[in-house]
Amino acid sequence: MRPLAALRRGDTPAFGGKSSTLGELIAAGIPVAPGFAVSTAALHTFVREAGLDGKIAAELARVSAGDVDSVVAASHAIGEAMRSAPVPDVVREELAAAYAALAEEVGTPEPPVAVRSSALGEDGEDATFAGQLESYLWIRGAEPLVAAVRDCWVSLFGPPAIAYRAHVGQDEPAMGVAVQLMVDAEVSGVLFTCNPVSGDPSMVAVNASWGLGLAVVGGEVTPDDFLVSKVTGEVVRERVHVKEVEYVPDAGGRGAVRVEVSEERRAVACLDSRALEALVEVGRRIERAFGAHQDVEWAIARARGLPDGLFVLQSRPVTALPDRRSVESATAMGLVMSMFGAGDRKD
Amino acid sequence: METASPVGSFPSPYEVGTPPGCEGWEDLYPYYALFDDERREADEQRFWFWNSMHFPLPMPAFDAICIDTAYQALGTWQNRVFAVPPAMGIDYRCLNGYIYISGNPVTDPEKIAERAGHFQQRAGYYFEHWDELYAAWRTKMEALIAELEALEVPALGELEPDEVAFGDQETSFCAVLDAYRRALRLADVMWQHHFEFLLLGYGAYVTFTELCKTHLPDIPDQHIAQMVAGLDVLLFRPDAELRRLARLALDTEVDGAFVEGRTPAEIESELAESEPGRTWLAELEAVKHPWFHMATGDGLYHYYGSWLDDPTIPFASLTGHIAALRAGEDIERPSDHIATERERLASEYGALLDDEARKGFDDLLALSRTVFPYVEEHKFLCDYWFLTTWWNTIRDFGGLLAEHGFLEDREDVFQLSRLEVYSALDELLLTWATGGQPRGPMYWPPIVARRKELLARLADWTPPPAVGAVPDAILDPALIMLWGVTTQRVHAWAQADEDGSSLSGTPASPGVVEGPARVVRNVSEIGDVREGEILVCSITSPAWAPIFSKIQAAVTDIGGVMSHAAIVCREYALPAVVGTGRATSQIRTGQRIRVDGSAGSVTLLE
Repeated sequence: MRPLAALRRGDTPAFGGKSSTLGELIAAGIPVAPGFAVSTAALHTFVREAGLDGKIAAELARVSAGDVDSVVAASHAIGEAMRSAPVPDVVREELAAAYAALAEEVGTPEPPVAVRSSALGEDGEDATFAGQLESYLWIRGAEPLVAAVRDCWVSLFGPPAIAYRAHVGQDEPAMGVAVQLMVDAEVSGVLFTCNPVSGDPSMVAVNASWGLGLAVVGGEVTPDDFLVSKVTGEVVRERVHVKEVEYVPDAGGRGAVRVEVSEERRAVACLDSRALEALVEVGRRIERAFGAHQDVEWAIARARGLPDGLFVLQSRPVTALPDRRSVESATAMGLVMSMFGAGDRKD
Repeated sequence: METASPVGSFPSPYEVGTPPGCEGWEDLYPYYALFDDERREADEQRFWFWNSMHFPLPMPAFDAICIDTAYQALGTWQNRVFAVPPAMGIDYRCLNGYIYISGNPVTDPEKIAERAGHFQQRAGYYFEHWDELYAAWRTKMEALIAELEALEVPALGELEPDEVAFGDQETSFCAVLDAYRRALRLADVMWQHHFEFLLLGYGAYVTFTELCKTHLPDIPDQHIAQMVAGLDVLLFRPDAELRRLARLALDTEVDGAFVEGRTPAEIESELAESEPGRTWLAELEAVKHPWFHMATGDGLYHYYGSWLDDPTIPFASLTGHIAALRAGEDIERPSDHIATERERLASEYGALLDDEARKGFDDLLALSRTVFPYVEEHKFLCDYWFLTTWWNTIRDFGGLLAEHGFLEDREDVFQLSRLEVYSALDELLLTWATGGQPRGPMYWPPIVARRKELLARLADWTPPPAVGAVPDAILDPALIMLWGVTTQRVHAWAQADEDGSSLSGTPASPGVVEGPARVVRNVSEIGDVREGEILVCSITSPAWAPIFSKIQAAVTDIGGVMSHAAIVCREYALPAVVGTGRATSQIRTGQRIRVDGSAGSVTLLE
């Protein structure tokens, strides 16, 4: 285990992409919910101690990439085996200690946390697995945390993940886990530090909806859509949509549930100019810190006010930007000449 | 957002009927200015749009000089001097008194290539020597105005003066005809100067805009305008002088004379009663030349005088500034803020670009800033100062004709074409010399009366935004640069919203407001504008600045982000949508509308 704040890019092999990125964000002064990272070694320890190596290898050996039934069967068998195997005491104790330290840090006994996979991959890391690995939200208590971490590990052998690895020919699956204090999101969503559609680098594009980010990321609502100028903070485009569902913490305080958005909030913009301003500011700082356009998940905590309530949950490089219209390199005068239809200046 | 859907249609100019009671309107205009049967086949296949930017009203016969001479000058520079490769000049036709224009393309690729060589050489020379050429331009323009101001219309006495009898002075018939020819010549020269730099100036700016939109596809047009716009622009000087006079009035405690609702004469007579008041009036006199040569409208009609001719606007503005100062408001134009913002935008946008794009951005921005003073200043020197003075010179010829019974009023001179005025002067001088009976006093007044009636009736007719064929694309740089007419805009006109409940135009100044519309089609109606209304007009002029403190937003038929309405609205932080094509014909005064200056849309709410 390692506090997220202690991680850097170089820790990716040991802790996975998400955890190390969160560490970089914290180092850059970006507001990130506190938490700790579970190393990729913890999964190996679990597998080894439980004697699952052989079982997993045998099941995976039976998979053929194009055969869905073989994938599902292997996934099911591995999942069963992992869920019934005990988590080794050493891992268990370390998790409990890290969780207790977090509880102390935030001054809440049994604070709710989010448990997310922090996978390893070539370039885009998590991006390659987008949507294939699970997150477990609103977990309270050391025992449920251990169970959630194990569930997270199991998701590494979910059918889509197995199929993906079989497809790209990757074996030796490895994954870390990020455990973070839960942000009780009133609003959450995604921002791009450029307009991903036009490629305009002077814009921040924001998608937002009520509640936890699941609704936006999972495509369960049509989010409010904003395009904001980084240069002036002007909202260049604002499209408010009807947002019918949101994810909120379960009444018992464990887990998240999907509920209908109350009537009066459905058709109302979920971000005001102050929130957009805070988001643009954070987006610009992240872009500067990473030196490239980023796709950022964020949440604004209930009743925390701004900017204190704004938290970044994850950041990834934007990979697929549209090709900018190619501009022949020309002098200013050459461009003026082209404007008048006299573009073939030979100089 | 540009769609490739069906592009709709425009009426044929030959099928647009004559409005009732307007038969014979053609007589006001030259034979070549009409949609005639001889050229029907070609003219019906061309795209013609109503130039409501310069000619929102039916054209008086004399004022047509601002079409003929202006397009002689534009065509000469564009086609015969710079040889803009794909486009020659602008043709015009008059339809029910309104002016429709169409570009003449060059289609032969060999010809285009040949012209490109000339253009590169000649336009290149202008861009490379811009500052010195522009300085020389200012000098010759000021000399031209001085010559105009010195031009007097000789009187016709009972006997020629002694200087003719005993000296070498020329006779009056020569002097009058010479003065008229000189007046016409001065207008020719003014239009020649007017267009010398115009296309090149706009061209640099449009190129910078294109570069910005290539690399920063979502950049709002107004940010581009803000980066380029000049800080110390002639056009802002007159209002700056009024603000200074307003402060002076308070400092010297003569502000009590400025009571809302008083006429300029009433205010001046109260001021004349006290010593500090007289001092203030002396200061006002000093400001008048040249700053009161602002036009009350956009300059291309004889109707638009200067602030000297009608001081209502500057005095209303003074009264408003004084009231604001008394209320403790800051009336200064935030020039520091504008300057800082201009540099901040330029450096922040520049920093977002890669090195190569950055170079083009910096160079084109610098070039645009070099050329832009001309674009902004020619308006004051040519359209306002020269033209308002020139119309008064023509009025003096009208006075001479009226004195001898050829016209009932000096103002009637504008109902005759410039050649008809020449002809009337010819006859006047002939009969003055011979002592014979002139026919003019019987011949001209009925013609004038009929023409005035026609103009009044034609003013009630709503011209379609365009006639003829819908073009596949607008490629003419002049149409794009000077009129903001683009393919997208033209297709939007052609696909006019059937239910008429919304209009789209160019977003020119951000913000959303709702309110009652005030449709202003003529400068004489601007006095009707009330607090909180949304101004709906063909185009505005900087001389209207005082009413911008009353309105909530502005919507225009024509113009781009650098149009006056756009510039002034950004100054006053009011939403503006420009270039809607048909706002003045689709919106009624009093109707509630919503203006979205960020999206460029206008919604009719009732």
